Amino acid sequence: MENTGREKTLWTIALVLVLIFALIPVLWIISLSFKTPATITDQSFIPTEFSFENYESLFTGGISESPFIKPLINSLGIALITTFISIILASFAAYAIARLDFPGRSVMLAGALAIAMFPPISTVGPLFDMWRALGLYDTWPGLIIPYLTFSLPLAIYTLVAFFREIPWDLEKAAQVDGATPFQAFRKVIVPLAAPGMFTAAILVFIFAWNDFLFAISLTSSDASRTVPAALAFFTGDSTFTQPTGSIAAAAVIVTVPIIIFVLLFQRRIVAGLTSGAVKG
Amino acid sequence: MTDRARSERRLGWLLCAPAAVAMLAVTAYPIGYAFVLSLQRVDLRFPEEGGFVGFDNYSAVLSSELWWTDLFNTIFLSVISVSIELCLGMAIALVMHRAIFGRGVVRTSVLIPYGIVTVVAAFSWQFAFAPDTGFVNQLPLIADDKDWFGERFSAFSVIIMAEVWKTTPFMALLLLAGLTTIDDGLYSAAKVDGASAWQRFTRITLPLMKPAILVALLFRTLDAFRIFDTIFIMTGGAQDTQSVSILGYQQLISRLNLGLGSAVSVLIFLCVLVIAVIFVKGLGARQPESGRA
Amino acid sequence: MRGRRRVRLASVACVAAIGVILVSGCGGDDSEGTSLKWFIAIQPGGSIQKVAETCSKQSGGRYDIELELLPTDASQQREQLVRRLGAEDSSIDLIGMDVVWTAEFANAGWIREWSGRDASEVKRGVFPPVVETASYEGKLYGAPFNSNTQLLWYRKDLVPKPPETWDEMVRMAEEIGPGNGGQIQVQADRYEGFTVWANAMIESAGTQVLSGPETVDLAPAPTERALASMGLMANSSAAAPNLTTSDEDTARLGFEAGAAFMVNYTFAFGSAKENAPKIAKNMGAARFPGITPGLESKPPLGGFNLGVSAFSEKADLAFEAAKCLTAPAQQLTVTELDGLAPARSGLYDTPEVKKAFPGFANLVRESIETAGPRPVTPAYQDVSLAIQSALHPPTKIDPEDPEPVYDELKDKVEQGVNREGLL
Repeated sequence: MENTGREKTLWTIALVLVLIFALIPVLWIISLSFKTPATITDQSFIPTEFSFENYESLFTGGISESPFIKPLINSLGIALITTFISIILASFAAYAIARLDFPGRSVMLAGALAIAMFPPISTVGPLFDMWRALGLYDTWPGLIIPYLTFSLPLAIYTLVAFFREIPWDLEKAAQVDGATPFQAFRKVIVPLAAPGMFTAAILVFIFAWNDFLFAISLTSSDASRTVPAALAFFTGDSTFTQPTGSIAAAAVIVTVPIIIFVLLFQRRIVAGLTSGAVKG
Repeated sequence: MTDRARSERRLGWLLCAPAAVAMLAVTAYPIGYAFVLSLQRVDLRFPEEGGFVGFDNYSAVLSSELWWTDLFNTIFLSVISVSIELCLGMAIALVMHRAIFGRGVVRTSVLIPYGIVTVVAAFSWQFAFAPDTGFVNQLPLIADDKDWFGERFSAFSVIIMAEVWKTTPFMALLLLAGLTTIDDGLYSAAKVDGASAWQRFTRITLPLMKPAILVALLFRTLDAFRIFDTIFIMTGGAQDTQSVSILGYQQLISRLNLGLGSAVSVLIFLCVLVIAVIFVKGLGARQPESGRA
Repeated sequence: MRGRRRVRLASVACVAAIGVILVSGCGGDDSEGTSLKWFIAIQPGGSIQKVAETCSKQSGGRYDIELELLPTDASQQREQLVRRLGAEDSSIDLIGMDVVWTAEFANAGWIREWSGRDASEVKRGVFPPVVETASYEGKLYGAPFNSNTQLLWYRKDLVPKPPETWDEMVRMAEEIGPGNGGQIQVQADRYEGFTVWANAMIESAGTQVLSGPETVDLAPAPTERALASMGLMANSSAAAPNLTTSDEDTARLGFEAGAAFMVNYTFAFGSAKENAPKIAKNMGAARFPGITPGLESKPPLGGFNLGVSAFSEKADLAFEAAKCLTAPAQQLTVTELDGLAPARSGLYDTPEVKKAFPGFANLVRESIETAGPRPVTPAYQDVSLAIQSALHPPTKIDPEDPEPVYDELKDKVEQGVNREGLL
């Protein structure tokens, strides 16, 4: 290759630029979270005084008084349950689409694509009205149901892509051995499909963890409010003071685990994100 | 039809049914219900009122300056941020594709924005640009007391920056996947024929990636059109920075005016439909939906 | 296979986490007596918890007040509540209502009327404008819990005598010069605080936004005078650079950083004492400035009233609890712990109030006594949004010719009262 030296320099610069661009907001919020109330407005990128005050304030008062613990439990619980159900339903559908020949499978795929494009705000009003009639307002299921809906297309597309790569001859072999299609699915395919399902699960979890619109529209108390919605409702030292420090600390707590997760499973996530979209 | 085929067909339907129901229950039914609500006068604060009003709510929305301003804002934000994302995403995809070293580092770092909660990112950018807490105004060339959120287009620029930051990784990954499907032989042949790097890019890469680019654009445009979280956190819609989603939220949730709000919802739905149709037309018949891709 | 082990580990972790969550979700609380659920905005000093505890104890076990704390932002509090009330949720017993919600809640049939002896007990000695905020169509719907008002805060070392009108204040600030602290801090972001400011200006000019729940007043001459003063301030060198995004917090930060003038609630004093002791030493308090010389201003009025939910199944106990929570002793606890102004005028000579408002307790009392409350209408939310949409940003008002903005304001408020169009 010509100009290897120059190319190397250019490449390094590009690398550094990408890194800075990607990391600045994260570093900034971490920096804010460690500032003391007195220095929070000092506008410096690196804290001049370190303290854990903001983190402590999130957890003081235990589960009943802390503004953060209940929402954190809600977020975790709702996202995990959504992920669990979504993956099961999506696996059924994706298996059928990838493997079985039946009229309607292209409709199913097109439908999922349409749902992926659906504007959530259009359902918020009716859902609010339906949920208050059904008693689902401000409950876990009240959020899990819409999350399921909007995460299923993502899960189905990812899983269809994965399932098409699976050596299905094994299934045929099982069927020759006398297994019904369902047994073949459960005994042979599920274990092979687990990595794909795990990838889809990560994507669904991140989706549910991230949602804000449903979380603020369909909840009104700690009974079901998730972290993104709770962040918008934090309180400062007095009624009129901005809770910048506590928001930053809470933001770090909900961000760091996801970042670790994303880094650990980055190959899978990349595969999941791209396979569904390109091949669909 | 054989028994096997029949049982396969039944199983297919059976396996798809739960997912189909779950998807329709929270989309098809509510949008229908929204349409019904939008034809009525429904305000939860005035429970005794009600009744069929025909398309009055629609004419109220469509004759309001606010709807058109917000629609303009939404389209403006979508077009600008998606264009920037496309260029930036393409650049990142290209460097990742031709990585000399550090490919893993780039992939790792671009995935970080993807994993971060949008609300958290919005707060971080907001605090960074706020005149009282942020470091941005301390940078050289920027006035110390610049109030970024105090004026429409400076507020837009911060909103766009946050959106671009959050969603470029997705774009880059989609484009990278498209890039890897291009046969390297084509490039070598072009090089032998004396094509410059730019020519190779415009004559080979772009045409071959057209489907991948269109798919990525479709997804991102529709996603950008729904913008809500970032604006809600940063300006709350002040200084005319409201998007149509914020407008709908305000009618539905702040005013509890379900009639008017539902009319806004249905109109947003129609806008999305129009955008989707345009893109799908652009994709043409090249949409492989089943079988081998 | 590493991948597969990770998967298995992760699924075990997921199942375990779900289990933990389900179990922790089921742990009921072990309260005695009938539990009453009180929805109220959180106060950082802990006064809400304290008075709830006191009253639960005083009831001798007949009721036990359980708190459901709401966010501090007024619009968000309301959103949370109206969604529940709109859903006829019977889990709400007591509601801490911002002074501007009464009409909306009462009209929708979400809260119960206070009558007879209960009504006269919770009204006794309460400032008349505060009682007005708790009433709708001549009936009482809330027990005044605390009050709040804005004062003019100024720097005694920069300003020899506080200004009486806004125009005078602008002149004084311009004379001091923007480099030397010649700045006026207000609340002019597009939110409820902006309505508070605009309403106080209009009231102070001698007119009002509404004369009845559905009748727009806004007499042209005084309204235009009020708008002109807002425009003059907003377009002068005295306006803060972040005027159009300013709220109570940015205002106090600006004052603590050296601005000569600020209109703000009483919390600003405590905050300055803690964060900027040097500024606090020279911090003067005066009445909210007026519009026309010689015409007394009508300062903003805030605070909370307690309402009993129409869907509560324990209304009798809820009324009893509300009476206890708004009793003089409890109002003083709130003043002591959170620095909020009592709703009863007789309490302003107590040591608690004098300590919370050192040297300006009487000023606060006078300010509340003569305050100009925001409009009383079931469509309050719409009217407030209409005011914001017509007048924001205030820089658009030409102080020489406020008429176009006046016309817009009148149109929009008319629309708001009738709940027409988008807002």
